[in-house]
Amino acid sequence: MFRFSKDQQVMNIGGVRIGGQPGEYPTALAGTIFYHGQAMVEDPEKGIFDRLLAEDLIRRQSELSDETGNPSIIHIFARSIEAFSRYLDLVEACWDGPIIADSSEAETRARMVELLSEIGYADRAIYNSLGAATTPVEAEALLNGDLDSAILLAYNPVRSDPEGSLDLLESGGGLRGKGLIPFAREAGLVNLLIDPGVVPLGSGAGAALRFTVMAKARLGLPVGSGMHNAVSSWNWLKGRERTARRCCDAASVALQQLAGGDYLLYGPIERAETVFPVAAMADIMVAEAVQDFDIHPIGDHPIHRLI
Amino acid sequence: MDGAFRRDEDGMDKLGPFRGGTSETWPPIRGDYHIGDPARGVAVLTLASRMIVEGAAICGPCVTENLGIEKVISNVISNSRIRFVLICGQESRGHLPGDAILALHRDGVDDQGRIVGARGAIPYIQNLPREAVARFQRQVELVDRIGLEDGESIERLVEELQGKAIPYPEPPFYVVSRRASRRPPAEGEGDVIFGGGVCLDSRGWLAQSEA
Repeated sequence: MFRFSKDQQVMNIGGVRIGGQPGEYPTALAGTIFYHGQAMVEDPEKGIFDRLLAEDLIRRQSELSDETGNPSIIHIFARSIEAFSRYLDLVEACWDGPIIADSSEAETRARMVELLSEIGYADRAIYNSLGAATTPVEAEALLNGDLDSAILLAYNPVRSDPEGSLDLLESGGGLRGKGLIPFAREAGLVNLLIDPGVVPLGSGAGAALRFTVMAKARLGLPVGSGMHNAVSSWNWLKGRERTARRCCDAASVALQQLAGGDYLLYGPIERAETVFPVAAMADIMVAEAVQDFDIHPIGDHPIHRLI
Repeated sequence: MDGAFRRDEDGMDKLGPFRGGTSETWPPIRGDYHIGDPARGVAVLTLASRMIVEGAAICGPCVTENLGIEKVISNVISNSRIRFVLICGQESRGHLPGDAILALHRDGVDDQGRIVGARGAIPYIQNLPREAVARFQRQVELVDRIGLEDGESIERLVEELQGKAIPYPEPPFYVVSRRASRRPPAEGEGDVIFGGGVCLDSRGWLAQSEA
């Protein structure tokens, strides 16, 4: 393993600390709930869902987090602002940690910023995401809103190598008038999480791992990804049995951690059962590997809980 | 990854690399699709809907407005028999690949590779040469039935289009991947430290030892 010569920033979002040198802080894990196609969601437009099942899923992720020491985040995917409001009602009742607010619709994302600012969630909500595709409506919402945290999606469609991603973050990559980082600072976002954007396996997914090291070395900011997306788009694997698919899914988490990743969007929250043990194991391995670098794992690290 | 292209010159078949309705080399790009009879003249794009349509040369989903469309184009223009692309099924939210491929066929891409007029999140064509896009525009006609999910109706449309599909008179157009040029790793300052005098310059991706 390695350590970075540049100081590594640590973000505190809703009580969860993300970042630092490899081996210092346990990897934060975000499971997605209310995603497209999740069986318990009866009406994704209105946000009608099986409340008991949703509570069970959130509780189970939380239990695994307590057991391993890997902090958890709830990644809420909503089709509409009406649905998002209902999902937040559930969160209010059973979760007091950070949430990621996400939608495939730009208009919905913009309204999420307004809602989260209004109800006092600005310090525990993470906007997903600010990127090359951010619309003027979203940008306006972020500038006017109170959110503290955002994921910066560094995928550069014009130049998809790690250098192109860094260029998008720092100076706009020729796609935006301003780099994502300077814009985020202007919008008052203080907790910035970098995400390279993971393309399918075979289309350059591996570059996200190299980017992770480069971005931490250059920027000193926390980096993570939805590395499982590389696996879920792998056509060959779709024909294999479920166990093989789950193994590859969980292994992708460890790969991101070994590249210095600080957080993971690990996909459907139902996979917490396989992801948390793998992430804890990888964190322990990394912590052991840097012991002689004078890097000390924090008190809640899996190395202290599980060994 | 840069795109490069070559025209088929092996003389095996002027319209596609297959004989008697079978093929070992087409489609050239792997993906989540169903192959029918490669000698047929219709390709069916089901966007975010999962369905198998009989009677087409190839049928499959496409959920992204960039890499997904690039794969569709690569597989279509490498078979000169395909003259129609029937776009049906539900749009992929946010990405809008159906809208993007219609815009691409109509207006092409700008200097940065952005699909002109596309409304999806990141509608860029990055890995195809301009010639491939132009060939796609010339070779096929797009039939916009976005939203249609009824299998029988789609198959009837496929048969109607098949009756009008006359093979394109030029050889298949293959888009192939070009290996990234090998740049010698630049020496720089070690900003990632492994210990024992070994460090890595993350920009040049060069691990070096001081010893």
